[in-house]
Amino acid sequence: MTNLRNYLSVAIFAFFGGCSRSLLSQWLPISGIIVANLLGCFLLALLTYYVIEKGIFADWLSTGLGTGFIGAFTTFSSFAVATVHLSQQNWSAAICYFLISSVGGLLMAVCGFVIARRLGKEVHS
Amino acid sequence: MMIVGCGAMIGAVIRYWITSIYKRMQWDWLLATLLINLSGAFLLGLLTNHFANNQMAINFGGVGVLGGYTTFSTFNTELLALIDEHRWFTMGLYLLLSYGGGIALAFLGLKI
Repeated sequence: MTNLRNYLSVAIFAFFGGCSRSLLSQWLPISGIIVANLLGCFLLALLTYYVIEKGIFADWLSTGLGTGFIGAFTTFSSFAVATVHLSQQNWSAAICYFLISSVGGLLMAVCGFVIARRLGKEVHS
Repeated sequence: MMIVGCGAMIGAVIRYWITSIYKRMQWDWLLATLLINLSGAFLLGLLTNHFANNQMAINFGGVGVLGGYTTFSTFNTELLALIDEHRWFTMGLYLLLSYGGGIALAFLGLKI
């Protein structure tokens, strides 16, 4: 039962995550995926190290939000294909796209982690 | 938009299913996301190459299913967890395999 609830939650949240990413990339053709990926890295780290660690939401809700919404909001496949496409037109654009995504993604995850740990301490004290 | 959303549902459920199998089998969890992202990058390359004129296939299969299947946020949160655990070698290897492999496989998919 818990299993089914988690699967349903992942599916429904993923619907909205995928739609949000698609809207964002229609609005910002190349940088939309970068924005989605960076924002998603920040939010997932915050969710993992604060909301899930503290058990703030029910399991099905945090699984839906993390694996479903944020997981579908961010994407690795479009990032990889876009990097190859850009490299065929302009090497420096491809390198910029790659570096902003990779370094930025990890930095945003670190930011989410640091904020999560701070929030966690405030709750305790 | 409905088409993208439905595709993303399918992709994310497959991702959740694969990750659950890895957790249940107690295989290294990093390998699940690596497998998902590498296969997704290759398949998107193939799809973009062979269905360039089919907007419906690109929206459903590419933006939807493969977009929902692969994930950038889980990958980075896993890198973060490895840093937190001071597993630097594994972190470097995971980073290199994901980016190097992902871009090489996307390139291969776009070529064949």
